[in-house]
Parts: sequence; C-alpha cells; structure tokens
Amino acid sequence: MLSKNLFLALPLFVVSVLLLASCGNNRLDDYSDASFELTNQNGESVTFPDDFEGAPVVVGFIYTNCPDICSFITANVQKIYNEIENPGDTQFVLITFDPERDTPEELKKYATAFEMDTEPFHFLTGDTETIDALMKRVSVRTAFDEKRENETGRSIYFINHSDKILLIDQHSRLVFDYGGSMTPIDIIVEDLDKL
Amino acid sequence: MKIISLFFIASTLLLLFGCQQEESSSHLIEGEGIQVEGTWARPGSEGRMSAAYFLITNFEEQADTLLSVHSDVSHLVEIHESYQQDDDMVGMREVGNVEIPAESTVRFEQGGLHVMLIQLNQSLSDGDSFELTLNFANHGNITIDIPVRR
Repeated sequence: MLSKNLFLALPLFVVSVLLLASCGNNRLDDYSDASFELTNQNGESVTFPDDFEGAPVVVGFIYTNCPDICSFITANVQKIYNEIENPGDTQFVLITFDPERDTPEELKKYATAFEMDTEPFHFLTGDTETIDALMKRVSVRTAFDEKRENETGRSIYFINHSDKILLIDQHSRLVFDYGGSMTPIDIIVEDLDKL
Repeated sequence: MKIISLFFIASTLLLLFGCQQEESSSHLIEGEGIQVEGTWARPGSEGRMSAAYFLITNFEEQADTLLSVHSDVSHLVEIHESYQQDDDMVGMREVGNVEIPAESTVRFEQGGLHVMLIQLNQSLSDGDSFELTLNFANHGNITIDIPVRR
C-alpha cells in the first residue's frame, strides 16, 4: 500500500518541483530564437539581440521626432546607466520605430544631443520590414497620425506608440516590461542590480 | 510620559504643516499678474524637434488664456499635450489655447502640456538657451528665456 502511494506521489512531487522552478525563472518571453539585422548610429551592422547576449540589456523604443515622451524614455535610459552599480556590465539600446526618418545619421545627431553617442549606448534603426517585425515581436504598437506639410513641402507627422522600456537578461530572455516614461528609475535599477 | 511626547510630536507636525500651507497661500497673494518660472527645454538637433516646459502662475482674480507661442528657434511653435491613449499607448495632440484659472498654476511638464518646437532652425545642446514669447489674452506678450538641459 505504501509503495503504491509512493508510486503515485513521486511523479506529482517531480511535476510540482518543475512548476515551482519555472515560477522562479519568472521570464516573460524568450528572444533567443529571434534575430534582427539592424544598423547603429555609426552605420555599423548590429544583430539584435544576438550581439548583446552575455550581458543584461536595457531597451527603449523611440522616434526622434517625439521630443516629449521619447525624450523622457531616452533620458530615463541614461539615468539608469548613471545609477546602476556596474554600468560597464550592461548594454543600453534605443530602437526607433520610425526608420523612414530615423536614419543612422539622424540617430547619431540625436545621441550626440543627449551626450549618449558613446559605449555602452546603441541607437538602432533598420529597414521598415525588419523594424515592423521587431516591434511586433516585442509587442510595441504604433499608429501614425495624419501627415501634414509645411510651406517648404516637408512632411510633419507624429506617431502614437507604446511607452516601453524592456529589461532583457544575458540569455536574451525578457525579464521585465516597464512603462518607459513613467516607471521610477529606482525600480528598474533595483531589478537590474539583481541580474 | 509617552503620551506627552506623542502629543508634542503631533503638535509640532501640525504647526509645521500649518506654516507650509500659509506660506503657499501668502506666496499666491504676494505675486501679481502672470509669472512664468521653472523653464527648460530638451536638447535637439537642427531640423528636428524639441519641447519646452515651465510653470505659469496667474496671480490675478480673473482667469487668463494662453493664446499662442512664438520663437525664432524653430520653424513651427505649437502648444501640444501628451496623453495616455489606452493600456500602454501614448499619443500627442495640438491644443488650441490653454486657460490659466485665477490664482492658479498650470504646469507644462513632461508627459503633459508642452510647447513643441518643430523643425529646429539650430541645434540645441545642454547649456544653450533661447527666447520664447507667450501671448496671453489679458496680459499680452511675455518673453521668457528657456535654458536647454538633458
């Protein structure tokens, strides 16, 4: 009777331990199977997230014609860098969802204006198809406003978008998904220091 | 003894809180007209965008309205506001004018009301500054200096 109970209880115990272990991992997604060919602000090819494996990555999503919320997100990424214990162990990435206007040259100017045109900050763009696929993969939504033109014929448009900063671990797994402009920096710094 | 100490601490806190409230009220009574303070703007590169932020306080007993904004620093200067669209989406829209209620402060701040500087005529870096003119219905033009910082 005892051996029969043990026979039934053992698999249940193993399943429970496995379930608890997976809860402990607490990963929201796994990007290790994803691969996106992008270009950084210096015109160099970058494969995301492959090229960043081995270090935690803080990722923000922006477009450079958005001076309010996206500047806020960019400044927050910079503040995280300034406040973590070992900033050299982490990579900081800002990816545009407006590749039509955000060329590597424009990203370079934007990074320079924020004094972030140095390692470990990476401003990434790509072709429209790749950027669309990447945004879909990381659940960043965008909706383009109606375009208007100024008297020189230059088009002006804004984009409604998800407000996000992601924390990805050294194995390209999504660990945390934050409100990009509104989350207190202390929370992100605390989470990052635990990785 | 403990009750006396607690009473003393509570009384001190009440007095401090009361003083702060009064300071805030007397601050409002002391000013006059429209005052703009806490000004700053984001860096931006030539041809791109920036945003300016500040606090507008109306010390008068009647409301005023910010009708328009002007600066030579960019091709277009507009009043905008960022807003939460749904769960995680944010948007931005132009605002025609902004009422400044009597004896009140309206904040132009990140994630809310701001002045959009569209297609900058020059790059703006940390430490630069530029002039911005605010046009009010009752108080006319008020020109302020906006420092640029990250």
